[in-house]
Amino acid sequence: MINLGSYLIISFALFICGILVMVARKNIIAILLGIELILNASALNFVAYTKFMNNNLDGHIMSLFIIVTAAAEAAVGLGIVIRFFQLRESIHIDDAATLQN
Amino acid sequence: MYLNYLANIARYIPELILVALMAGLLILETTYREDEKNKKYIFIGGLIGLVVALASLVANFSGKSETIFSQSMIIDPFSTLMKIIMVLGTIGVFYLSRISKDIYESLKTEFIVMAVGILIGGMILASANNMLMIYIGVETLSILSYVMASFKKNDERSSEAGLKYALYGGLSAGIMLFGMSHIFGVLGTIQFSGMAVNLLKLNQAQMLILMPSFILFFVGIGYKIAAVPFHMWSPDVYEGSPTPVTAFFAIVPKIAGISALARIGFIFFTAATPMRASWILLLMAVASLTMTVGNVTAIGQKSVKRMLAYSSISHAGIMLCGLVVINDIGVRAITFYGITYLFMTLVAFYIVSIVQDKYGNDHFDRFTGLAYRYPFMAVVMTIVMFSLTGLPPLAGFVAKFNIINALLNSHFYTLAIILALNSVVSAYYYLKIVRLMTLKQQESNEVIEGFGFLNQFIIIVMTAPILVLGVFWENIMMLANGAKIFFQ
Repeated sequence: MINLGSYLIISFALFICGILVMVARKNIIAILLGIELILNASALNFVAYTKFMNNNLDGHIMSLFIIVTAAAEAAVGLGIVIRFFQLRESIHIDDAATLQN
Repeated sequence: MYLNYLANIARYIPELILVALMAGLLILETTYREDEKNKKYIFIGGLIGLVVALASLVANFSGKSETIFSQSMIIDPFSTLMKIIMVLGTIGVFYLSRISKDIYESLKTEFIVMAVGILIGGMILASANNMLMIYIGVETLSILSYVMASFKKNDERSSEAGLKYALYGGLSAGIMLFGMSHIFGVLGTIQFSGMAVNLLKLNQAQMLILMPSFILFFVGIGYKIAAVPFHMWSPDVYEGSPTPVTAFFAIVPKIAGISALARIGFIFFTAATPMRASWILLLMAVASLTMTVGNVTAIGQKSVKRMLAYSSISHAGIMLCGLVVINDIGVRAITFYGITYLFMTLVAFYIVSIVQDKYGNDHFDRFTGLAYRYPFMAVVMTIVMFSLTGLPPLAGFVAKFNIINALLNSHFYTLAIILALNSVVSAYYYLKIVRLMTLKQQESNEVIEGFGFLNQFIIIVMTAPILVLGVFWENIMMLANGAKIFFQ
């Protein structure tokens, strides 16, 4: 039986996975993937709450907007990563440490 | 229904002007050849557009407060005043970007287009009345800011700043959304007015369960104003980006985030519930941490720009203090603080930018003996530094006094003491510049080209409000007093 709780558990797992990816992975592309996981976790939450609890379209609208802005953010993020790669020849997050101090 | 929509547009003219301006400037920019040096029409067009938007905002100011577009936006004097501050800041930064050598000549037009875009995001955030608008405002601000931070394409530090900004920003936006989704699930709608009603129907246990979601929600906006646990990006980004971009980041996103937080506080936490207590506790902790960490870290900095970055963190903390008291006195203090903060930051960044363009870096030593070469500029810088510290009779003093007054009125004595102590700490690094400028002999007699007559004149004109507001502050207070937050 799939109920609201199942969706919430899945989305929470996705959220935690996203945070873990962002903390643990050193590859910048993988970190961008982690951001996508977090955003999708909340989009899933919005849809699930709308389906099971609330009888309005607010959650669907929210998740549509989340998908659109996630795409925009990924585009900008990848553009910046490409520029960083051209300058440093590396997409390792530890190479982005010249600004400290 | 449709007629209502059309009627609402009349209240939304400033934003529409800016959207049209951004589109127009983008099209105009494509008509220039790549190697064309002087693209002055974009600059002039941008300035005219901003001034028109400013005029329509001023016209909007006295209108009655109402929600527009099916209650998704709110137009009240508070949001209008915050928007006026943001537009003024953008106008100031436009001219700075024009004279600065820190931005590539070929990218100056793009800077103007993107600054207008960020301004639109800030204005959405300032008048947002539902979750969706908050999210869209934050993202409009952020996505363009990422690009702006990595503006020096061939500079490793700048692209690194953009990268850090994008990664931290994506994370915090995601966390904010996750919090929002749970708030939405419990309260059943994304409209703030409906949410506030539903919130009061919950019992105490349910409210406490909802509180972590509000903390997650706070992360997203706290990140935009660089409140302390989420401030790590700020000094790096401020140092890595070109100086006009830094000045812009220090003004527009901060003011926008503060006004959004003020509205959230008013809508959800006016009633005496356990949530109000924990929200106030959260804000108090964040505010005192933000002030203290910002000030203490600023002491050790060698670069003036980085010092200003940390000092702007601590000023965000002071503005957060005004949000702790959720009442009209606090809001009045914040709006006044925003106005003075705008002018102080602009002048400080103008001078730092011009000095940096001459010498290629912005270490404290570059300011030694400035008083002997450019007495006017040294006096202006001294005034700004005194005002940032909060010494009377300057505007910064009145602004800080108002915040402390609001705190004392609501019996937040600890926070008021922390604020006062922090002002003492900040005096050290602000007055360090003054000491270097006046008491030390100059290293050389070089002429700084940036301090031409026109630039000096503009800087002095921008300093005038700091002096005037310090003495004749009642008029602005009346203005700020009218700028109450409106909610249904």
